[in-house]
Amino acid sequence: MSPILDRAQLQSNPVLRAMTYVIVALVFSVIHVVFLRFISVSSVTPDLLLILTVWIALTEGQFVGLFAGFACGLLFDVVSADVIGTNALAKTAAGFVAGYFYRENKAMMSIGSYRFLLIVTASGVVHNVLYFFFYVRPMQVSFWSFFLTYGVATTLYTTVAAVFPMLYVNRQKDW
Amino acid sequence: MRRFIEFVVRFKNYIALSALVVMSFALMSFGNLAQLGGFRAVVVGSIGWMQSLFAWIPNPVALKSENTALRELNLQLSVEAARTRQAMVENSTLRTYLELPEKIDYSLIAADVIGKTTTQLRNYATLNKGTAEGVHEGMCCITDAGLVGVVIGASQHFAVVQLLLNRDTRISSKVHRSRVDGIIQWDGESYLSLKNVPRTFDVKPNDLIVTSEYSSKFPPLVVIGRVRSVSDENNSLFKNVVVDPAVNFVTLEQVFVVNYIPIDERISLEKKTNDENRGKSNE
Repeated sequence: MSPILDRAQLQSNPVLRAMTYVIVALVFSVIHVVFLRFISVSSVTPDLLLILTVWIALTEGQFVGLFAGFACGLLFDVVSADVIGTNALAKTAAGFVAGYFYRENKAMMSIGSYRFLLIVTASGVVHNVLYFFFYVRPMQVSFWSFFLTYGVATTLYTTVAAVFPMLYVNRQKDW
Repeated sequence: MRRFIEFVVRFKNYIALSALVVMSFALMSFGNLAQLGGFRAVVVGSIGWMQSLFAWIPNPVALKSENTALRELNLQLSVEAARTRQAMVENSTLRTYLELPEKIDYSLIAADVIGKTTTQLRNYATLNKGTAEGVHEGMCCITDAGLVGVVIGASQHFAVVQLLLNRDTRISSKVHRSRVDGIIQWDGESYLSLKNVPRTFDVKPNDLIVTSEYSSKFPPLVVIGRVRSVSDENNSLFKNVVVDPAVNFVTLEQVFVVNYIPIDERISLEKKTNDENRGKSNE
């Protein structure tokens, strides 16, 4: 942790944590709009805001995770010119699912282990089932074939991206 | 009262989930970003500004693809240039004979693509021209190859174009050779589909697909793509027509916005007639 922001200070101050989450969400949105196209594979990109939602749900609990998911989803809808509300719904559900894995004072243990990847995958599946259900509504295609093509790929790519925060927390080892 | 509070505290997660789900559905009923009025202009402007800051970063995949496409285009153009010269002479003679009115030419506004959101199946492009340069919502966007999409939002200096490869794409179109009508749609792949073409109608591979006069959004005879394959749909009266888009969306860098806005009088008349017919059928 940088000397400007002490970890203990961050852990004890919920306002500071909330502000950090907001800043990270905004940075992720900018990355999504500007840079993510460089690492897209057949239009599939990792969902960074979903990873953030899972992180918040594991750190703060299910109740906060729900609202974080809703806020991240709204932000995602706005920056990606999508139908407002679809990502909000999907990420709220993802936050709810991730919140089931919340363990008080053991958040970093969850995030720094393979458990985190499993939680991201589970939340990603729920997120993408909901999201693509609404996405394919105006199209004449089968939901399941579309989900199996894009939903599964997006979930896998997001899980791969979740390896980085997992390794970062794992290397700290001071939890 | 105490029991009620205890109930709320006990089930707060489920209550919050229900409230947020209801809010999400309420927001969805607003529709897409294009219906959010002034807010849309702020979003389009902000995203456009951010993307313009980083528009100089080259995308190696796009550059390679562009090189290949340009080589192919160069070859095609040299062949077509010779054909066009001959066709122009013939055309001019025939027009005189038939006294056809000259084809209307729409004015074009050249714009650079400063950002593309081709990720997560949200296929949009951001242009560096906006209302100040005459770009308005509803105008269509083309390249030398063909139709790119339609402007769905514009701020003063930026505009967002919904590309053809988008779930909301519905274009009244026709086969240029046989005049068979259909509707162009996108099914989530790298190609388009021409829908509502009966099995008995004449559509062949390599046929050119253009916008139809029936379209209230796009000017007629703008190239959309070429037929890749034609097959009969199972258990259906219609053909399955796969169309390759004429435009290479990976290498999209410069586009032209066509200064063509659908005629309000026509749209309101069609809407009025539809509403009247719906009213009669309900009676």
